[in-house]
Amino acid sequence: MDPSTAAPPSVGASGFWQWFLQRVSGLLLIALVGVHMWMGHFSGLADVIAGSQEELVLYDIVERRLAQGLFIFVDFSLLALVLYHGLSGLRSVLLEWGPAARRGDQVSIGLLLLGVVTFAYGAKVLLVFIL
Amino acid sequence: MAAPLRTFLACSGLSRDRLSGSRAGWWAWLLQRVTGLGLVLYIFLHIGVISTAQLGADTFDDVLAVLQTPIFVVLDLLLATAVVYHGLNGVRVILIDLGVGVSRQAELFWACLVLTALTMATVTFFSLPLIVRG
Repeated sequence: MDPSTAAPPSVGASGFWQWFLQRVSGLLLIALVGVHMWMGHFSGLADVIAGSQEELVLYDIVERRLAQGLFIFVDFSLLALVLYHGLSGLRSVLLEWGPAARRGDQVSIGLLLLGVVTFAYGAKVLLVFIL
Repeated sequence: MAAPLRTFLACSGLSRDRLSGSRAGWWAWLLQRVTGLGLVLYIFLHIGVISTAQLGADTFDDVLAVLQTPIFVVLDLLLATAVVYHGLNGVRVILIDLGVGVSRQAELFWACLVLTALTMATVTFFSLPLIVRG
C-alpha cells in the first residue's frame, strides 16, 4: 500500500479542503511548470547552440517575455501556486512529527506567513521586469 | 523512538502489497516526499537567484551566466528529474484517489519511473550541447 494513497477524506470532513486543493494546485502546476521550464530552458536552445544568442536566460529575454499579459499571468500564478503547494506539502510532512503536531496551529500560521512574505517578495522581483 | 522514524517504519510495515508482495507503493511515497522537500528548498533558492534582477540587468546576467555553465546544466537536469517524477507520481496518486488503477498501484509506479527516464533521456539529449560547450 502507498501511504500517500490512503482513502481520501470525504467532502466536509476534516482535512478535505487541504487534500482537494493540494491535488488541484498540483495539476495546475504540471501545466505552469511545463510552460516555465520550456520558456527558460528550451525556447532559445537552437539560438544558443547556433551562437546567435549568448545564453538561454538573459535579463532582456525575461523582460520581453513579461511584456506579454499571458506570461505575467503564468508567472504570478506559478509563484502563488508553487508556494501554496510546496508549503502545504511541507505542513503535512511536519505535522506527522509529534512535537510539530502538538503545535499544529503555530506551524500552520508560521508557514502561512512564510508563504505570504515570500509571495510578496517574489512579486516585487517580477515587477522589476514588468515596470 | 522519534516520531518520524516511527512513521517511517509504520509505512514500511504497510508497504508490501497484499497481492503482489511489492514494495513499490512505499518507494513511490518515499520518493514523493524526498523530491517534494527538495523542490520546496529549491523554490526559495530560485526566487533568491532571480531577485538579483533588483541589482540591475548586468548583475542578473552575470549571475545567470554562471548558472548556465555545464556543471549547473547537469544540476538543472537532476532538478528536472525530481520535477518530472513528482508530477507523474502526483497524477498516479490522483488516479488512485479517484479509484482508477487501485489494484495496479505498483505497475503505475513503474510506469512513472519509465516515463521519467524517457523524458529525461530526451531532455538530456537536447541539453548535451550546453554541457559539452566551452
